Amino acid sequence: MVINTPRDAIGTVLCELGSEVADLVVITADVGRATRANLFGSKFPDRYFNVGIAEQHMVSFAAGLASAGAVPVICAFSMFITRAWEQIRNTLGRMNLNVKIIGTHSGFSDHPDGSSHQSLEDIALMRVIHNMSVVVPADVKDILRSLPVIIKEVKGPLYFRVGRDYSPSITDEYDYEYRPGNVYILEEGSDLAIVAAGPVLQDALEASHKLKKYGIKSTVINLINVKPTDEGAIEKVARNCGRIVTIEEHSVFGGVGSTIAEILTQRYPVPMKVIGVLGYGRSAKSVRELLDFYGLNSESIVKASLELFNGKSKQSTK
Amino acid sequence: MGSTLSCVEILTVLLKRYIRLSGDPLTKDWLVLSKGHAAPALYALLADIGSIHYGELMKLQSLDSILQGHPDIAIPGVDMSTGSLGQGLSFGMGVASWIKSRGGVGRVYVVMGDGEQDEGQVWEAMTDAVHRGLDNLIVIIDFNGYQLDGKLSEVKPKHYMPLIWRTVGWEVFLCDGHAVASIVSALDGAIRSRKPAVIFAKTVRGKGLKQLEDTHIQRVE
Repeated sequence: MVINTPRDAIGTVLCELGSEVADLVVITADVGRATRANLFGSKFPDRYFNVGIAEQHMVSFAAGLASAGAVPVICAFSMFITRAWEQIRNTLGRMNLNVKIIGTHSGFSDHPDGSSHQSLEDIALMRVIHNMSVVVPADVKDILRSLPVIIKEVKGPLYFRVGRDYSPSITDEYDYEYRPGNVYILEEGSDLAIVAAGPVLQDALEASHKLKKYGIKSTVINLINVKPTDEGAIEKVARNCGRIVTIEEHSVFGGVGSTIAEILTQRYPVPMKVIGVLGYGRSAKSVRELLDFYGLNSESIVKASLELFNGKSKQSTK
Repeated sequence: MGSTLSCVEILTVLLKRYIRLSGDPLTKDWLVLSKGHAAPALYALLADIGSIHYGELMKLQSLDSILQGHPDIAIPGVDMSTGSLGQGLSFGMGVASWIKSRGGVGRVYVVMGDGEQDEGQVWEAMTDAVHRGLDNLIVIIDFNGYQLDGKLSEVKPKHYMPLIWRTVGWEVFLCDGHAVASIVSALDGAIRSRKPAVIFAKTVRGKGLKQLEDTHIQRVE
């Protein structure tokens, strides 16, 4: 079966893991069909809990399941999971419970529904919670390689951020195994580093290619593990490259750019540009339209990169 | 302090007569103090049944004490870290669901406050319990008539709550929350119930301390 969308990948992986992990349970809040959690529900009805449109209850309910010995995975829209932030903070985080939260429809992926449904703050909100891990896979392949490891090996609360359908194939041709806490260097160059998480990793790779014609060789990092992340690897890249551009389908506050800045200001500060969203999103006919509208594309990365070279290409500075 | 004193008998009856301790999460009975601000009452009982040392009680809320201002699972005998209202019922339902689905014998007791009924999450949870058939779940609402800013009738009336719970499908019991026999009778009924059960325990805020009784005063000077 060919899996093309993040939500189909989620549903498929959960179904496969259901047989392997006897205590795996899936909890959703009336978005079983939209998140594909219902695939698990039809295969394992006694381990599937649809609590209705009740996200706060969903989180605390999952906390109870975890305390009693189950291995709960929450599947819901990332935007509406954030309305249970305090339950996540005060119960999942404070009790350090083994609950995985899969936030689907993140970023601009729910393009028709508009700003009320477009989560652009979720990475920031989850990242500040002590004990909470944050994972942002770039594409379907990244989901398939990371989610089984996370459910089987990671203990403790973890936020897994995916989109709905938009998922260009990005990492298929890269050969790496997912390990918690790792970052993955997909391209290597010593003039500049581009750090991306999520589907905009595609734009990062595209920009890296475009920058070559300016004589700029860039490193591209897949920051799939936003928290905890490999600080040493980030520092090493900063030392090698000396300039960093970050891009995320998320607010410029508190997300990928902030993560890198927090690490580097303490370990090895280098000039940075942070590309992200200022605002709440809006409706559009496609995700690509929105990414371009908000400047989350390779052109913006190239522009920001050139600005880090004082507006000139590397060749012209020589 | 007032809402600690209103649930002393409830917690005493639960911990001394009903709660079965065990290391197995599916066999033990769970106690969730959803109204976490009544922690001192819980701690006193935990000392009484030997989960913690009596000497710890006077160190309550000290930096070097395990006894936090609100219940924390780091304290032996505490099943859920609480303090933020409205979340204990959902948690208890998660526990009760797993016990049932795994064929365990444990019961889950959730002690809530009356003011706590204001929280929207209580509605989210209580409407999700009946169809799950959680006959191993018992909620006790310490109905002491006050919330933080004053009398329920002045802040937000809640006299209709038993009717709402019953309409939703819960088995509803009423009792005198300071009379042991009355609490026992309600709990026995709740245990026999084939539906999730809720006990509305009429209590007096600050029971036992004349300066506090039936007032919203927080502390004894």
